[in-house]
Amino acid sequence: MSTTTARLAPLRSRPGYAKRELRLAYFLILPAALAIFLVMILPLGFAIYASFFQYSLGQPMVFVFFDNYIAFFKDATALRSLLNTIIFTVLSLSLCISIGVGMSVLLKSLSPRVGNVLRAIFAMPILISPIIASLIWRYMYDPTYGLIYFVLNSIGLHGFGGLTASSTALICIVITDVWHATPFIILVASAGLTVIPEELYEAARIDGAGAARTLFNVTLPLLTKTLVILILIRGTDAFRVFDLIYGLTGGGPANSTTSLSIFAYQQAYENNQMGYGMAVAVLTLIALILLFGPLMRNSARGRAE
Amino acid sequence: MRATRKVRPASVVKWIILVVFLIWTVVPIALVVINSFKVPKDIFTKAPTLIFQPTIQNYVNAFTKSDFGSYFLNSTIVALSSTVIVILIGTFAAYGLTSFQLRAANGIANGFLVGKLVPVIALLLPLFVIINAIGLRGTLAGPAIAHVALNLPFAVWLLMGFIRDVPQELEQAAMIDGCTKMQAFWRVLLPVILPGVAAVFILSMQYSWNELLFSLQLTTIGTYTLPVGIASFVGAVSVDWGTSSAAATLTMAPMIVLGFFVQKYLAEGTTGGAVKG
Repeated sequence: MSTTTARLAPLRSRPGYAKRELRLAYFLILPAALAIFLVMILPLGFAIYASFFQYSLGQPMVFVFFDNYIAFFKDATALRSLLNTIIFTVLSLSLCISIGVGMSVLLKSLSPRVGNVLRAIFAMPILISPIIASLIWRYMYDPTYGLIYFVLNSIGLHGFGGLTASSTALICIVITDVWHATPFIILVASAGLTVIPEELYEAARIDGAGAARTLFNVTLPLLTKTLVILILIRGTDAFRVFDLIYGLTGGGPANSTTSLSIFAYQQAYENNQMGYGMAVAVLTLIALILLFGPLMRNSARGRAE
Repeated sequence: MRATRKVRPASVVKWIILVVFLIWTVVPIALVVINSFKVPKDIFTKAPTLIFQPTIQNYVNAFTKSDFGSYFLNSTIVALSSTVIVILIGTFAAYGLTSFQLRAANGIANGFLVGKLVPVIALLLPLFVIINAIGLRGTLAGPAIAHVALNLPFAVWLLMGFIRDVPQELEQAAMIDGCTKMQAFWRVLLPVILPGVAAVFILSMQYSWNELLFSLQLTTIGTYTLPVGIASFVGAVSVDWGTSSAAATLTMAPMIVLGFFVQKYLAEGTTGGAVKG
């Protein structure tokens, strides 16, 4: 550090140097900040503003203060969508992470060549658009022609409700999401596993630790940082799920698969209750910040020395 | 040798799990690809058929009965242009936020990240109004601008991770040799963080290529992108499985091919160098 400062001294002491450099820094950040301001901050500001109004397109806005927010907590469908979102997030996140981390541990135990080929194949679903994933799985879940029913019937299981029964529709969407998102966990967890020093595994082997103990005492603790990132990225995505449900059920049957995002969309665009829709979206954002904000604390570290 | 023989049963279980997961991953994709070559009477069977007379009629239909060719071209333009812009302004921002001892840097970086949390539903209508007001509704610039901003928070965060791993002395040495700060960036730093740039490229491409909601809102007939086109198949009361399977196959193919080539960067990118410890 001291040597760095010493080497920098001549540069720093030039008149106007620091000022010019700061101006350059802001100039570099400006385009990105402008884009994010135009597409995110400004619209978000409008959404928050609109959430305090009774607002339908083509009609004057009426200021109603917190009525839209109060309405949310009195609306059975709204609360159902909150519950659905929580169930969906918990199920999808826990399944994705346990399967994904499990598969990446298995892949690591293979020879690098076989492991890499399999990992590339396993990665395919994340490259597929959610809307196509829902198209594929709507066909899979088709009661007459779908592969799921064919398999279930051939092992003697009849009467599976699939996407058309309110008791099973949400779990069907979770299954599709697990299919679509687990590959992401596999990729990230695999990258996380490569940095765990091999000596630790050797030490565990010498101590006579079995596969399970190695997993829980060596692999998982050293994967903590990766797991936090995964929970953050995957959790916030799952909590805002829209495309998959839109393509698979549209929120039905009987609101059994309505998520917060789907509910907000329906209120805003199908019922033309823009103010209410925006209030639901703002509540979703608040829930996201409360749930995942603590994980987001930016590691305020500087650059490598 | 004795050791390998001892773990045999565990190894059998391991391979069963891997094969089951392989089937689970591949079958749904294979199904839609196979269906795209089937005539309706072969698609709608109670038991899945593997022996059938293949047809390319579905592909012909996709191009003649729908505007698939135009969707494909539009998506290519939107994905490529938004990705190039994301890389350009994303690397600039990441450099500005990491390498200048800005006091506001952390605040700005966190502000960017909150952008990643905003539910897109909240942005749809206001953005629609904005894009309409500046006269870009129905142009490809609409979704491209949206995709740039939606991709930026993650891209900047990820590139910041990569830049932080590079010792600042690298540029300082170049500057002592007479480079300006920006020349040092182009000539010395950028080549080192290319894996991060590659990761941003693939992540941004696939996001833009696959993004539905904003494209749905901001485009009109003639500027529809692929997901919008596919959604019009899926949303219909009766789905034309043959044509939509062909369209889905052609939409998936470029990203899967791209993914195979840059798989390494995909893995590195998603972690943003953050797992390196």
